Amino acid sequence: MIYDEHFGSPQRRRVLTAAVLVIFGVLLLRLYQLQLLYHGELDKKSEENSVRALIREPIRGYMFDRNGELVVDVGPAYAITLIPFEFDKPGGGLLSSLLKMDSLTLEERIARGRIYSPFLPSRIKRDVDIRTLATIEEYLPILRGISYEIESKRVYPARAFATHLLGYRREISDAQLAQFSDYYRQGDLVGIAGLEARYEPYLRGEKGYEFVSVNARGQIIGSFEDGKRDVPAREGCDLLLNVDIGLQAFAESLMTRNAYTGAIVALDPSDGGILALVSKPDFDPSILSGVTPAELWSQLQSDTAKPLFNRATLTRYPPGSTFKMVLAAAALQEGIIDEQYRIRCTGAYRFGDRTFKDLHVHGSVNIIEAIQKSCNVFFYQLILKVGFEKWTECGRRFGFGRITGIDTGEETAGLIPSTAYYDSRYGKGKWTQGNLLSLAIGQGEVGVSPLQMARYAMALANGGTLHQPQAVRFIRNKRTNKLEEVSHDSSSVGIFPEVIALLREGMRRVVQEPGGTGGLARIPGTISAGKTGTAENPHGEDHAWYVGFAPFDNPKIAIAVMLENSGFGGSKAAPLAGLVMEKYLYGQLRRALPRPAPTKPDALKAITQAVR
Amino acid sequence: MTNYLKEYFDYKAFLLCLALVAVGLLSVYSATFDVGAAGAFEKQVVWAGVGLLSMLIAALFPIRALQRIAFPTYIVTLGILLVVLVVGKTISGSKSWFGVGGLGGQPSEFAKVATILALAAFLARTTTSLSNVKHLLIAIGIVVAPMILILAQPDLGTTVVFFAMLLPVLYWAGASNFILAAIIAAVLSAAAALFGTLTFLITLVIAGALLYLTRQNRFAAAVAFALTLAIGLSVQAVYERLPAYQQKRISSFLNPELDPKGAGYNALQSKVAIGSGGFFGKGYLQGTQTQLNFIPEQWTDFIFCVPGEEFGFLGASIVLTLFAGLLLHGIKVAYLSKNRFASAAAIGVTGIFAIHMLINIGMSMGLLPVIGIPLPFVSYGGSALIANMVMVGLLMNFYANRKEH
Repeated sequence: MIYDEHFGSPQRRRVLTAAVLVIFGVLLLRLYQLQLLYHGELDKKSEENSVRALIREPIRGYMFDRNGELVVDVGPAYAITLIPFEFDKPGGGLLSSLLKMDSLTLEERIARGRIYSPFLPSRIKRDVDIRTLATIEEYLPILRGISYEIESKRVYPARAFATHLLGYRREISDAQLAQFSDYYRQGDLVGIAGLEARYEPYLRGEKGYEFVSVNARGQIIGSFEDGKRDVPAREGCDLLLNVDIGLQAFAESLMTRNAYTGAIVALDPSDGGILALVSKPDFDPSILSGVTPAELWSQLQSDTAKPLFNRATLTRYPPGSTFKMVLAAAALQEGIIDEQYRIRCTGAYRFGDRTFKDLHVHGSVNIIEAIQKSCNVFFYQLILKVGFEKWTECGRRFGFGRITGIDTGEETAGLIPSTAYYDSRYGKGKWTQGNLLSLAIGQGEVGVSPLQMARYAMALANGGTLHQPQAVRFIRNKRTNKLEEVSHDSSSVGIFPEVIALLREGMRRVVQEPGGTGGLARIPGTISAGKTGTAENPHGEDHAWYVGFAPFDNPKIAIAVMLENSGFGGSKAAPLAGLVMEKYLYGQLRRALPRPAPTKPDALKAITQAVR
Repeated sequence: MTNYLKEYFDYKAFLLCLALVAVGLLSVYSATFDVGAAGAFEKQVVWAGVGLLSMLIAALFPIRALQRIAFPTYIVTLGILLVVLVVGKTISGSKSWFGVGGLGGQPSEFAKVATILALAAFLARTTTSLSNVKHLLIAIGIVVAPMILILAQPDLGTTVVFFAMLLPVLYWAGASNFILAAIIAAVLSAAAALFGTLTFLITLVIAGALLYLTRQNRFAAAVAFALTLAIGLSVQAVYERLPAYQQKRISSFLNPELDPKGAGYNALQSKVAIGSGGFFGKGYLQGTQTQLNFIPEQWTDFIFCVPGEEFGFLGASIVLTLFAGLLLHGIKVAYLSKNRFASAAAIGVTGIFAIHMLINIGMSMGLLPVIGIPLPFVSYGGSALIANMVMVGLLMNFYANRKEH
């Protein structure tokens, strides 16, 4: 037994007891010192010179386009604050008339502030105009507990809206507040869509604190300890975008001019940078630049034109004939046909007891001519040779059925049907090869977003690389003055270069050769390539599609245009694509704009103007 | 009957604990009654009830069985801490940009109890001797293992508490002054390594002096000093290799006054609050200073402001006295216990209470840096309250069985 004789010895008990008594003594002495010796001073401090922390809002980050043009700016907004504990009820009447707020709303806001803290200022009205602020300032001596704070709001100096791309902010919801109470407080604006939401932690900066002494009436009597303890607010990071805001504005104007509903997405084929992303109808983001009135928000939400809905990334329509390159790629890649292979098009194809029609009689066509002329009969027969699995696989290679990873927020993965999908939808053996014929020409269950189509056009333009589309190229940290490059994923579609070359040749002929369906996309002085599509719409007029890129040999821009319920892709979507690409390549148009399509009244514009 | 009660019922520990819990409930009510944290008081009442029940169970649990399950319980606790750590990490990884904090505070409260019992069980073995290096390392290991898991959470306050519990227990169990000096030297050097070369060098000198003064033989002293140096240097080397953001996290950890959310500001306000209380205090629920600034810590880490401001020197010194009484009683129970397991565990419990009280009240009065640990029995928080009441139950248990070997 090696029992330690010191274990719990009387001497050790004495030492530990002494330690406890020392701790007790020190704490008691300090208590004595604070509460009896320094009492007078500290009590005075507490009653007359309480320290209060005022939050200093940081300046939110700016956004610049690829040419350095300021796209999203920051301007001052004035918020009236109130300290519930100090505010006298009789002042309420005066305050509500100065703020043009009914007394019930005012009382409700004060009650909400009291829950946050009776002793700290809370914002009772945001974004008041400078005249109201000046009047309030005059009355400050008789309005106890009232002050104001300078906040920032968004200012949009650019000509474009780019609503769905740039996004917008709203007051933080109670649920978010409960989760993120370590930084945000009631009434803070937080990005809820687009880049404002995705890059919120970069854009927002860090709040600062200013410590001030206030007297017993709560009036600020000076800075505390000469501001030695103040923490300055830290400015948010700037976003340097891939977007060309001039191009964006131009693309938007084309859509507005023609009163189109739909989307245009233009990408840089070399890296997937988003050059423009238009979704119409949209709205002027400056109506949401500060605090959004609830009635405006519900109006936006209930609007039947769905202006909040990002058609560029969230719609899921069949792509029509623009999808034919997928089937062509599958057939060529697998060696099922080559460019010598020809089919005679008689203007219709009989399969089983159904006749599938074509628009024209195309005669003998090979794969290149079939793309050029968009010959349905060729592709009907081709999908029967290629088979369902290979078609599905090739669609997936071009990125369909999965999200792109765009940094502007929500997007749909779309749908690329497979045997498994059909089995579960129709039941095993309940569907026939007949269903495939629709898929061959991009109709039926295929669902794609304009963004996915732009990615597809990009891969055809650059020889087969899918880049993750990114609106932001760099994040600039203004404190360290460092530029952080936003990384993006890239992957190969895994199609032989010779195959891509044949597809591209077909697409070139679509635009450049007589008999091509996309002649209206032609750009004077530049060879471009593309493919038209018209998606059948059982609920109304067809949706027009166009995908393309230019210049043919060294593509600088890849584009997808989708116009809801507007008719043929070749006549409606193709000209828009040509104009947008021309504007990007030359910086301006070198021809007169075509006459706009007959206009429908723009309901949303009316709302926007009514609100402003 | 009264004699019987006196013999087996540790009314002192029981009443001291109840008095402190009552102070806590009054304070939590005062700190929360009009700031929209409604429900905090009611929850605390419920937890106190649960705590009371757990305390009685702990008081009646057979000591032998307690000793036997000490190790298995300890191992399970380590497992739980590990799970918390791993799961906690994946959650924060997927929680996009806001991150997540404060997860796993609960298991670490109960880990304190399990660790004390495991350490006591080990020290109570008849074959254990602290002059045997292997045994000493095992004893330290028992405390360091959960400490590392908790530090990784990261929870600096609780980590400090674990270390502070180890020293008195080892001392009680017979460790020589030299061993204590060696442990203190190693920890000082590891901490000082993060504060720059000058601090590190000064600390080394102090550590060297400590080892020299307590030395039993020169060789051991030299080895201990070499170890101290090696630990300091390796901490420094690891720190320098960490990415910048992790370094920043550690430095703001060690120096919470730099926290932009104003830990320093809280400490200052709390000093003013306590000081303005004067001798008699401002009266219950009348402490304007306490309620002047809404900060969550006012009913957790800075709860001592409430009795300080509202009950003044009179009230606050009574609270201090209650704590001192409980601590002295804990040492007495340890001294009276013939069972070494109970004796060592009683010191562990007392050590935990002592360090919590010292750091918490010390920081409220601006004596110590702001490390977020709660005031036992008083601060708002369920798992800490229950764990602390269980520990008082253990003290009552050891008292009742003090004459048994």
